[in-house]
Amino acid sequence: MSHAFYLDVDRCTGCFACAVACMDQNDLEIGSEPTAWRQIFKVENGTGPDARLRYISLACMHCEDAPCIMACPTGAIAREPGTRVVKVTADLCIGCHSCSMACPFGVPRFGKDGVMQKCDLCSTRLEHGLEPACVRVCPTKALRQGDPNELSLDVERKAAERLAGGA
Amino acid sequence: MIKGKIPGDATGIEVRKSVCTICDPTTQCGLDCYVKDGRIIKVEGSLENARSGGTLCSKGAATRQWVYSDERLRTPLKRVGPRGSGRMEPISWTEALDTITENLQRIKAETGPEGVVFYCGYPKQLRPFLLRLALQFGSPNYCTESSVCFTAMGMAWRLDYGQMAGPHMAQTKCAMVWSANPFHANTSFARRLMDARDRGVKFIVIDPRKSPIAGIADIHLQLRPGTDGALALAMANVIISEGLYDRDFVGQWTRGFDEYRALAAEYPLDRAEQITGVPAATIRDAALLYATTKPAAMMPSAAPVVHHTNGVQNQRAVAALVGLTGNYDVPGGNVAEGPSWLEIGGAGFVTREKEFELPRAWSDLPPRLGAERFPVWADMIDQGQGMDLPRQLRTGEPHPLRAFVGFGWNHRLWPDNLKLLEAMDKLDFICDVDIFRTDSTSYADIVLPACTSLERSEVRCYPEKYIIGTEPVIDPVGESRSDTDIIFGLANRLGLDDPLLNPSGAEPATAPGCGFLPNGAPDFSTQFDRVIDWIFEPNGMTMAQMKAHPGGMPVPNAVMPTFRKYEKNGFPTPSGKMEFASSLLEKHADRPGIDALPVYYEPENSPASTPDLAAEYPFVLNTGSRLPMFVHSRTFRLPWTRSLRREAAVDLNPGDAVSLGIAQGDRVELSSPTGSIQVAANLSELVQPGVAHMYHAYPEADVNTLIDGDYLDPVSGFPGFKGALCAVKKVSLDTEVAR
Repeated sequence: MSHAFYLDVDRCTGCFACAVACMDQNDLEIGSEPTAWRQIFKVENGTGPDARLRYISLACMHCEDAPCIMACPTGAIAREPGTRVVKVTADLCIGCHSCSMACPFGVPRFGKDGVMQKCDLCSTRLEHGLEPACVRVCPTKALRQGDPNELSLDVERKAAERLAGGA
Repeated sequence: MIKGKIPGDATGIEVRKSVCTICDPTTQCGLDCYVKDGRIIKVEGSLENARSGGTLCSKGAATRQWVYSDERLRTPLKRVGPRGSGRMEPISWTEALDTITENLQRIKAETGPEGVVFYCGYPKQLRPFLLRLALQFGSPNYCTESSVCFTAMGMAWRLDYGQMAGPHMAQTKCAMVWSANPFHANTSFARRLMDARDRGVKFIVIDPRKSPIAGIADIHLQLRPGTDGALALAMANVIISEGLYDRDFVGQWTRGFDEYRALAAEYPLDRAEQITGVPAATIRDAALLYATTKPAAMMPSAAPVVHHTNGVQNQRAVAALVGLTGNYDVPGGNVAEGPSWLEIGGAGFVTREKEFELPRAWSDLPPRLGAERFPVWADMIDQGQGMDLPRQLRTGEPHPLRAFVGFGWNHRLWPDNLKLLEAMDKLDFICDVDIFRTDSTSYADIVLPACTSLERSEVRCYPEKYIIGTEPVIDPVGESRSDTDIIFGLANRLGLDDPLLNPSGAEPATAPGCGFLPNGAPDFSTQFDRVIDWIFEPNGMTMAQMKAHPGGMPVPNAVMPTFRKYEKNGFPTPSGKMEFASSLLEKHADRPGIDALPVYYEPENSPASTPDLAAEYPFVLNTGSRLPMFVHSRTFRLPWTRSLRREAAVDLNPGDAVSLGIAQGDRVELSSPTGSIQVAANLSELVQPGVAHMYHAYPEADVNTLIDGDYLDPVSGFPGFKGALCAVKKVSLDTEVAR
């Protein structure tokens, strides 16, 4: 089974709980640079009364055909066999930033040691039947994690309820 | 597994249960603390908590940095430099308690116990204990941060209905959210609001900002700050003139409807649009949706409506819409449920909290803070109004104040607080109890270290008829003790005659859990449990029973809500009816700004009421709207939360910024006749044109220093934090160098 994040954009309120839960789970030291593994954006469209504000929480997407894996010259980035999570082996990373150039989502971060770090989908927690920290904490249940097809089915079910006018 | 923090024997990580009290309104999310070798290594939400259901907010998720902050106080301190210098030396608990006791006893003997002010900020659990301590010591001068939060909102509902009535969201079809921001301020309720939207509940949101909840609204009324009263009266006028009000309820159960109808008629839609800035058609649409969707629930908020110089009356006008439309005390409307414990209503049980905290009648004591200046407050609220503290310190009227004993005191809560500090410098003695070293503790002569709620027991209940009584998750950090340990310890040292606060009487307390530790620190953990058992006696719940359910438990024999209780008992108001015209306010109507009806007055300073002042200070200054990562100043010091908004910044409308030549991140000056600060500019369509939103309490840029200390609502004494005036200008590099 593969794992993916899903963000229900209509439920994300930009509360930042996921970002901090990630910092706590992963002992992230956040200094003056934006090194958090999960980032939250307020996206504003339009002006005045018509302006629309939306919130998006982003972290590594654990792409199936992950460009960062292809770009990494040392094999430091690899897919974990069981969980299919895209993981970094710090010892192998040479800090060349190739992954940053390859990643379409701007995920790679570099700590004081210059080595790439990013979300590992809390894979140890997953192995023990626990949700990723960011998913567990989410107050509106906007952020979910699971098998991509199961996640899609949930979205489809909601759409069906909407179409039926019952919800 | 260690790196992944997986609990179990293999890692030695144990999950211990507690609740988060970093924010202290109605939330208190259940906390699973991952503890290894006596240290918390991670937290997450407790799945079984009936309210928070495994979730936390960004503040609660940062608990670990809260508990282990370098700024924690670890020992008692005494001041060795001038007040405010922060020059302090560690002392023993014995010396600290001796000094406090000597000072309080001396002042009591010389000029009377009323010269000592007792003050409580957050958290709230210690409040009944501290009020009892103050009254048993003989001082009526007990006040709290509730002098600026929540209380005025409660007063407004009580003036209208005799009691608060909360939104009954589970069964409603329409939610009118009046300036609440639950997605950032009460996240434990967030998923239920989203679920309500998904099941088709209509949302009307009244908010000066495009806050996240405005984003899910069917109708958003983006009013000018402080015009809530005019908006509510205009909505009432639509509802009445279109015959959509509940005639039976109004005819049988209300007082002063004809006068109220006449008042509302003064706010036709075109005038309301002119005052509030909300298009007339939008006001009408909202009024019709609220009045015709049955049932409809109103969700108020603790502070935004009442942080205005006409705050209580504005909130009364808002609350009146509930009764007008027949939504009072009906399923899916607003339901009145009695208080349970620590300001949480409707948890399904009653306690002896009032009896515990009020061992003496106010009438047996000298007048409390603010009683003369804010008589409606004094008639209704069992505390002093702390906003009157600077005046009484300066004048000594009606009696001089000589000492201050604060728990979690933050002077930045007061408008124009530099004047407060100046006045406080006259005090003979200041003692402050806090978790952290703060700017306020630096003004104290003695500082005592309090522990966080994870290092002691905490008892909390929820409207879901759920209760939790916790055990400490870790040992207190350093020599810190619980607030209640300190209160019991002081009661013993002061020799108070009170079997609950001081069971040892005139003798030194020595029993384990009801005495002092070898280092002189108070440990009254057992006595705390006994007092909780005494307070909870009417329901029969005990601390032992609660501790046997570490994640909390359903309230045994919970009283479920009943509806239309007024049909049997009348309303708990002087007339027994819902009061469009308040009997109590009528009594004080000879005072300026006090009327029996919910009359609308412009904010004392506003573009409409003071055009000359507004020519110089053209922006409406709105302070203190919640940011998701902060609750007052409490999480400023945590690197994780601070990283989410690093700089003190004012939120401005991008269009306003363009006309002032201000770009994102520019340094700007906010100024008023009272003061000025420099902050970064943050541009967002969240903000309407003409308004500047500035978060409060930043030590480096305290916006409350821009608000005059007497800019207060005459009914409640609440400051007009959300409706003052200011100027905004870009700070040029030259100006900056000159400074």
